[in-house]
Amino acid sequence: MRECLSIHIGQAGVQIGGACWELYCLEHGIQPDGVVLDGGQDLLAPAKTEPTRASFDSFFCETRAGKYVPRALFMDLEPTVVDGVRAGSYRSLFHSEQLVSGKEDAANNYARGRYSVGPEILDLVLERIRKLAEHCSGLQGFLIFRSFGGGTGSGFTSLLLEQLSVEYSGKTKLDFSVYPAPRISTAVVEPYNSILTTHPTIEHVDCTFLVDNEAIYNICHGKLDLERPSYASINRLISQAASSITASLRFEGILNVDLIEFQTNLVPYPRIHFPVTSFAPILSADSTHHKEPSVSDITAACFEPSHQLVRCDPRLGKYVACCLLYRGDVVPKEVNAAIAATKLRNSIQFVDWCPTGFKVGINDRPPREVPGGDLAEVQRAVCMLSNSTAVAEAWARLGHKFDLMFAKRAFLHWYIREGMEEGEFAEAREDLAVLEKDYEEMGRSL
Amino acid sequence: MNSTSTSDVIGRRVEVNGEHATVRFSGLVPPVAGLWLGVEWDNPERGKHDGSHEGTVYFKCRHPTAGSFIRPHKVNFGVDFLTAIKNRYVLEDEPKEEETEQIVIIGNKPVETIGFDSVIKQQSQLSKLQDVSLRNCAVNGAGDKGEIAKACPNIRSIDLSKNLLSSWEEVIDIADQLKHLEVLNLSENKLTSPSSSPSPTGTFPTLKVLVLNRTGVTWAEVLRCASGWPVLEKLYLESNNIIISERPTDVLQTVKLLDLSSNQLIDENQLFLIAYLPRLEQLILSDIGISSIHFPDAGIGCKTSMFPSLQYLVLNDNQIAQWSFMNELDKLQSLHALSCTRNPLTEGSKDAQTTRQFIIARIGQLRTLNKCAIEPEERRGAELDYRKAFGNEWKKAGGHQDPEKNRPNEEFLAAHPRYQALCLKYGAPEDGELKTQQPFLLKNQLLTLKIKYPNQHDQKVIEKQLPVNLQERSGMLLLGLCSSNWGRPFPLE
Repeated sequence: MRECLSIHIGQAGVQIGGACWELYCLEHGIQPDGVVLDGGQDLLAPAKTEPTRASFDSFFCETRAGKYVPRALFMDLEPTVVDGVRAGSYRSLFHSEQLVSGKEDAANNYARGRYSVGPEILDLVLERIRKLAEHCSGLQGFLIFRSFGGGTGSGFTSLLLEQLSVEYSGKTKLDFSVYPAPRISTAVVEPYNSILTTHPTIEHVDCTFLVDNEAIYNICHGKLDLERPSYASINRLISQAASSITASLRFEGILNVDLIEFQTNLVPYPRIHFPVTSFAPILSADSTHHKEPSVSDITAACFEPSHQLVRCDPRLGKYVACCLLYRGDVVPKEVNAAIAATKLRNSIQFVDWCPTGFKVGINDRPPREVPGGDLAEVQRAVCMLSNSTAVAEAWARLGHKFDLMFAKRAFLHWYIREGMEEGEFAEAREDLAVLEKDYEEMGRSL
Repeated sequence: MNSTSTSDVIGRRVEVNGEHATVRFSGLVPPVAGLWLGVEWDNPERGKHDGSHEGTVYFKCRHPTAGSFIRPHKVNFGVDFLTAIKNRYVLEDEPKEEETEQIVIIGNKPVETIGFDSVIKQQSQLSKLQDVSLRNCAVNGAGDKGEIAKACPNIRSIDLSKNLLSSWEEVIDIADQLKHLEVLNLSENKLTSPSSSPSPTGTFPTLKVLVLNRTGVTWAEVLRCASGWPVLEKLYLESNNIIISERPTDVLQTVKLLDLSSNQLIDENQLFLIAYLPRLEQLILSDIGISSIHFPDAGIGCKTSMFPSLQYLVLNDNQIAQWSFMNELDKLQSLHALSCTRNPLTEGSKDAQTTRQFIIARIGQLRTLNKCAIEPEERRGAELDYRKAFGNEWKKAGGHQDPEKNRPNEEFLAAHPRYQALCLKYGAPEDGELKTQQPFLLKNQLLTLKIKYPNQHDQKVIEKQLPVNLQERSGMLLLGLCSSNWGRPFPLE
C-alpha cells in the first residue's frame, strides 16, 4: 500500500537518482544486487513488532525471487547518462525496462524536449510507467526528479506531467527540481527553459522542492572542506534531503508525514507550492564525533541561510508554513522546546493570517551516509521545508535574466525552428509575473 | 541517591547550573556554620580559590581559581542510568481516550484493572531502544544491579557524553549489562583512571566504536583499558593533550580508524609508536601542530614498513611548510587519500592549482586529494607540469636526456625523489619545453649600456638602461638620452 513511483528525467534527474537509490539501499540494508543483507535491517528480532516491511514496500517491489527492485524509472533523451547506470555498480538492482534512453538529446532546448524529440519517446515512457503502476496495490503518487535548465528536464517533463495528470488523475505528484544556479551557469538558455517549463507544469504538480547547485556548492566548499565539490558530492547532499523527505514513507515512525500531508500543511494556495529546503547538521566526515548537535542546535541551524539548498534570504520574507522532518534520536519533548524557542526569535516572521505554521515529522531511523561520503554520520538530523515569500526573489532573478535575453530575442530561433512560437514565451513570462504577484499578495498583512 | 556522607561523596562528579565539577571535600569550614562541599570546577576560572580558605588547606586544585565551597543542596549529583533513560524516552502519560478495563478474578471477586496498558507500553518502548542518547542528562552511574539489562537490553549505541560518570568502574557496570553494545560515546566525562588490575576481557565484547574526546584520558590509561576492547574498530581521542608514550603491543590491533586531532603535544617521533598497528586504515591528525615527518627505514624512492595499511591520512590545520613532507608521504605503501588543507604550504601560495598539482605529482599512488578524486587526466597533467617546472633545476643538478650522462646530484634527488621515475614514464624533458618564456615586460626589453667618455677620463663610467628595438635597422642604434646633463649626441664605439 502507499506505493510511490520515482521518475528520474534528464541528466540531473538520473544522476541524483543514482545517489538517492544508493542511499535508500544502504538505509534498508539492500545490497547492490537487490538482495537484503542476512537478517534484514533489524538485527534484533525481538525488537520488531509489526511488520516494518509494509513501508519498505512503498519504494521497493519484491520479486518472486526474493530480490527487491526499486519502483523507479530512469529516462533521458540521449544514452550516455543512462548507460552510466546500466554499467554502474547498481546495474543489477534495476530491471532493464526501468532504464529508458533515446538516441538524440534535447540539446538544452525546451522545444526539442517538448515538441520534437520528446514526443517520440513519450509513449514508451508512459507504457513503462503503466507497468510499474500495475505492481502497486495502492499507488499514492509520483516523485519526479529533474532540472529546470536542461532540455529534457524542462521540455520532456512538462509533456510527461500533462499526460500523467490525465492518466493518473488524483495521484499526488511531487517534484524535486534543480533550479539554475544564480552565478554558476551550465547553459546560457537556462532561464528560458526554466520559465517555459514552469508555466505548463505549475497546475500539474502538487509541490516542487527546489534545490540550486550554487547553494549546495557553497555548503560543500564552506562546511565540508571540499576543495572542488564535484557533482557527486552535490548529488549526495540532495539525496540526503530527498531521503529525509521520503523517510516517513519508507519507515514507520513516531510521527509520520506522507505525501498528502505535505501538501495539506505546506501549500496554502495551489500555485504557491515552492518550499525552500534546508538541511542540518552539515558536518565534515573528518570531524565525526567532534560535535553532536542537539535537537535545538539543528532546528536553529535550519533557519540559517547557509544551510539552505536554495539561495534566497528568508529573513527578508515571511514564512507561511514550515515542515520539520526529524530523523534519528529525537524526542518529542525536545522538539517542542526547540520550536518554542524558534517562535520567539524576531528574525523569523510568519504571515499574519497563519500564525502557527509548524508541521513536525519524527522518524527514529538514524541518518546514514554512504561509505566514503563527505557528511559525518550523526545521531540526528532534520530537513526543513518552508514555504516562504522569499522564494519570489529566486523567481524574480530568473525572470530578470529571461527578460534581458528575450528583449533581444536572443537564442530564440533555436526554439522557433523546433515548432514553438514567440507567444508561448510571452505567455510563460506572464504566468511567472502573476506568480510573483501572488507571493507578494501573500506576504501582505491583513 | 543523595547521600552526602564523606566517604561516598569525595570524587563524585556533580553539576551546578550547567557547570561540571568534581567534589574534593565535604565537611565544616569555620567560621561559617553548616556543611560545605568543596568542588574543583572543570572550568579553571569558574572558582574563587585553590581549595584553601583563610590559611587552612581543605583540598587541592590544579589551578588557583578552580575551587569553590558550595552548599550541598545547590549541587546536582545526578541520576542513575535508568532514570535518565525514562526521563528522556518515555512519552508522558497521554490523556486516555478510553479507559480499557480488564476484569481479573482475585479470590473469587472480579477486580478491575486500569492503567496497566500504559505501564506495559512504557516498558515495551524501552526494550525497543537501540540507539540512545543521554548526552548531558546527569547520569552518575548504573543504578541497581541488573536493572538496565532487564529494561533495555537491546541498546546498540549509546551517547553518554557530558554526564556525571566519575570512574571506569561505573562505565563497566553499565556496559556489562548491554550485551549488544557496539558504539559508546564517553566524551567530556572525567573518569578516574582504572585500578591497576586490567579490566577483565569480555567486558565490551561487541564494542566497535569508542569515543573519548575531551576526557583528559592519557595514552597509558587507554592502553590499560584496551584489553577489554577486543574488536574495537574506531577510536576517537580528540583534544586530550595526549602524549603517545608506549607502543600498543597486544591491544588496539583491530583498530581501523584513530582520531588524534587537536592533541598538540604529539610530535612526529611519537607517531612511530603507532606505526605498526596492522589494520590502521584511517588516521586523523588535524590540528596537532606537526610540521615535519621522516620515515628513517626507507631511502629515497623506497617504501616504508610503517603504517602498512594506512589508506586515508588527514592533516588539516597543521604547520606543514616544506615540500619534503609530501615527499615522505610517498613512502607510505597503501596511502591513496590525503587531506591537507589550511597548512602554510597550501595557504601561502597564491596558486592553489599548482600546489594541488605538485602534491599529486609528488605522491604517486594518491587517488583522492582534499576529498576531490584525482582523475587519470589530472594526474597526467600534474606530473607533466611538475616535470617541466623543475626541468631546469634538474639539468643544473646534473640531469641529462642521455641516460648515460644522467646523473643528478643527491640534493636534487632528495628534493624531488619521483623525478627520475617521471622521466622514465614520460621521457626526459626536452630543451624546448624548458626555455622559460619571459613575460613581455618593459624591463625585459631594456639594454644596459656602459657609456665611457673617451676624452674625459675623470668622468665616471655611466650605466644606463635604455629601451631598444633590435629588430629595427641592423646595426644602427638610436639612443635617446634623457638626462639633462647631456645636450648633444656623441659617437659610439
